[in-house]
Amino acid sequence: MPQSLATVTYIVAAMLFVASLRGLSNQETARRGNFLGIVGMLLAVGVTLIALLQSPVTVKLTHLGVLGAATAVGCLIGSVLAARVAMTSMPELVAILHSFVGAAAVLVGVGTALEGRAHDVAHAIETYIGIVVGAITFTGSIVAFLKLRGTIGSRPLVIPGRHLINILLVSGCIALAVLGGGRKEAVPHLLGVIGLASVLGAHLVMAIGGGDMPVVVSLLNSYSGWAASAAGFMLGSDLLVIVGALVGSSGAILSFIMCKAMNRSIWNVVFAGFGDTPKAKAKGDEEQRPVQQTNVEETADLLLHAKSVIVVPGYGMAVAQAQHPVKEITSMLAGRGVQVRYAIHPVAGRLPGHMNVLLAEADVPYDIVREMEEINEDFEKTDVVVVIGANDIVNPSALEDESSPIWGMPVLEVWKAAKVVMLKRSMAAGYAGVENPLCFRENTLMLFGDAKQTVSKLLTAIAAKMT
Amino acid sequence: MTETVTPLRVGVPREVHQGERRVAATPSTVQRLRKLGLEVLIQSGAGEGASFLDSAYAEAGAKIVQHAAELYGMADIILKVRAPEKLSDVDVHEADLLKENALLISFVWPAQNKELLERLANRKANVLAMDAVPRITRAQKLDALSAMANIAGYKAVIDGASHFGRFLGGQMTAAGRVKPAQVLVVGAGVAGLAAIAAARSLGAVVRAFDTRPVVREQIESLGGRFVEFKFEGETGEGQGGYAKQVSDAYLLAEQTLLAQHCAEVDLVITTALIPGKPAPKLITSGAVVGMTRGSVIVDLAAEQGGNCALTEPDRIVEKYGVTIVGLTDLTSRMAPLASELYAATVTTLLTDLMKTGKLFIDERDEVHRGMQILCDGDLRWPPPKPQVRSGAPRQPAEAAAKPHHDKHAPKPVSPWPRRIGLLLALAVLLPLGMWGSPELLQRVTVFLLACIVGIYVIWNVAPALHTPLMSVTNAISGIILLGGLLLVPGASSSITLTVAAVAVLIAAINVAGGFLVTQRMLKMFHK
Repeated sequence: MPQSLATVTYIVAAMLFVASLRGLSNQETARRGNFLGIVGMLLAVGVTLIALLQSPVTVKLTHLGVLGAATAVGCLIGSVLAARVAMTSMPELVAILHSFVGAAAVLVGVGTALEGRAHDVAHAIETYIGIVVGAITFTGSIVAFLKLRGTIGSRPLVIPGRHLINILLVSGCIALAVLGGGRKEAVPHLLGVIGLASVLGAHLVMAIGGGDMPVVVSLLNSYSGWAASAAGFMLGSDLLVIVGALVGSSGAILSFIMCKAMNRSIWNVVFAGFGDTPKAKAKGDEEQRPVQQTNVEETADLLLHAKSVIVVPGYGMAVAQAQHPVKEITSMLAGRGVQVRYAIHPVAGRLPGHMNVLLAEADVPYDIVREMEEINEDFEKTDVVVVIGANDIVNPSALEDESSPIWGMPVLEVWKAAKVVMLKRSMAAGYAGVENPLCFRENTLMLFGDAKQTVSKLLTAIAAKMT
Repeated sequence: MTETVTPLRVGVPREVHQGERRVAATPSTVQRLRKLGLEVLIQSGAGEGASFLDSAYAEAGAKIVQHAAELYGMADIILKVRAPEKLSDVDVHEADLLKENALLISFVWPAQNKELLERLANRKANVLAMDAVPRITRAQKLDALSAMANIAGYKAVIDGASHFGRFLGGQMTAAGRVKPAQVLVVGAGVAGLAAIAAARSLGAVVRAFDTRPVVREQIESLGGRFVEFKFEGETGEGQGGYAKQVSDAYLLAEQTLLAQHCAEVDLVITTALIPGKPAPKLITSGAVVGMTRGSVIVDLAAEQGGNCALTEPDRIVEKYGVTIVGLTDLTSRMAPLASELYAATVTTLLTDLMKTGKLFIDERDEVHRGMQILCDGDLRWPPPKPQVRSGAPRQPAEAAAKPHHDKHAPKPVSPWPRRIGLLLALAVLLPLGMWGSPELLQRVTVFLLACIVGIYVIWNVAPALHTPLMSVTNAISGIILLGGLLLVPGASSSITLTVAAVAVLIAAINVAGGFLVTQRMLKMFHK
């Protein structure tokens, strides 16, 4: 196979990837987009393998066999993971997959250096950048994964002088890289850089609060792209450069869009987290205000007599896997002529678009699922709003309390509705660690308990009342 | 916030205008106002004319104040129906009672009330006029004029019918056949349309006249017949959906047409107004002479001089056998309903003003700006031309908007991030230019172009697809698999080979896992 044919195939694969991303930005074309991505990947891998077979440098067949086996095993593991993951664990899966890309980038960088391909300054720089970005992605994603699983707490870890630590880590990497250069023998230096960058990655993500997880996940997505791009520079592969840049820039844009939705600057998220904003919570008089509790029966009556209902799902619904009974309830209400809609905050859940995926899994038609801007004006015309396991995204202090850490973040203005029923496990604060004054509003009724159980009971109660 | 701000006081005085029974707050809006964190003062007897007793207000949480002077002295915000005027018993003007820098929300009619504006300016008052709500979709909840016009239109038909000695609807009775009454409605604004609907529901045959051809559909939708009027080169449609003043020849043609129709009908209801101008005299005395004896004219424009030449404001007169009702307080005669609707619009306005938690008139907000007459005594009226676009989103009406009452001005964007970015770009590009190999430069070009493509491709992604998008980009970044493969040719050590194989393995997990999980997710999305 002539070299130019391989190059042309790479170009086609790159175009397919662009088309794939393009397709993914719209519901109608999303599935085709995914398919195009698969085709692009098959083309790229297939052509590379053929090119390897025919390469002037001898490649032992056993080597190819090893690679083939590695690919097959990897695909198998990936498929099993993908098939078995619960939709609610999607954030964890995405985070751990990012870490694989990071690790692969580190390994490719190490291999390049070991083979002495990083012979000139440019290649050495590329190699080190690839390794550093890869290592940051790797450990950062692992920390994100652990935080999302709840293995480690979601609170930001704020070490005094952490900016200084970060700067020292980066300087350390640079110093080691300069000392090591592109020499084959600089393995200790290489390992040192990997170590330092790993610490940096873990530390960066540790310092970011749980409420910012959607942004972090998409930032790590972006990093994994940059790592791939750096590998492309090292190995002289335009396809890798292009695809890495596509993923990197799209992830960056996604993070940017989300930061705008939270009214924060991206720098604030990356380097500070919620920990940096002053915690002004010394209002003793407000903490002990009474809340109005309600029960399943009352809520069922309320919903059955409403003309319009909006459901606001949050991470609590995801954790409790309550989306199916919620969907049952809303279809029953819709069947009675109640206008039912879902309101999704851009950062609800722990992953961008998390709620949409869950609701789609539960078969909720997407034309009744509305975004914040579309529905915020409608709350005041709504009879009942049901908040299921959401907290910060419906917190009125974002608009009313300047000292609140989430001040200025656009939120769903549920309190404008005639009645708000808030399903909550306890009076604990939300992920951002901020108390929610919504609980104490006159038109708010609290329905305590595990979301899944409560919703299931509610479903039974409504079904009983309807017959 | 820890600072203890004394809540703003809202004062609702008793209306002093002769015969005015409406009031700017009802017990239920008092509750809404209190939920905004406002303290509410009601002058004793303010709601009496509208059947709201002091005790009902007190129960809703309002404080009852005996005298107007006392109320004005305490209130930071005054809610009224009519524009301030002289108290009848004592020689005091309501405007002079206002606290300095207080906010007045009421009907103001700034074009006709120049002297009042001066008085208010002397008090350094802030004034929002309920008669100046921009006619855009977003402001409909504030549209007090439409709410009042709707009532007036209905009441005009009811009053007209009571002065008319026959049924409005037709009947077949044993004693003979009664023909349905013919009704002419002049001016198909909100009041006119309400009148058409009311007259139709009583069984009358309704025709309606309006100089604006676009309202034909609305008239017909209510079951009225549109009276066609054509005049070379001119329509009566003015800015913002209101009628405009027209030439003399045009007016003459209108009068002639209406005189013909008046001769055929039993009840005429006129509602034609031009903003800020005296009402056009559409029904001449000749037209009245030509009407059947016993017919009735209800002139809703009486307060602005009347659409009929023979209208006497505030009086019911009989001319040439035709009863002409020139009452100007028709809405006030339905005070309970009128108060309820007016109070609702005023309360909605206050809710909007208080949405940041503090009182804030946002001059960048088309609605606030449109209603603003005075700002701390400075004349702000008339506002810049309204956007003639229904449902228009918030438009920056003026570039230099000066927030008052609050300090939420956006911080100026610091120029430094941009400058640092430029420096960094230079720091990267300069060495590249000096020492970079052509191959490297070509790769950088490809890289930058791909970044730009990535940005544009993703920019408009639907938020619902963020997760699938992320998992697909995840799969795509598994392309690093190629990096593992490319390491193999010429690999000199088994370490390299192992490293490459591990890289390929985990990248493959990524590729397969990413694509499959995306597929799974997308299968679930359906309409």
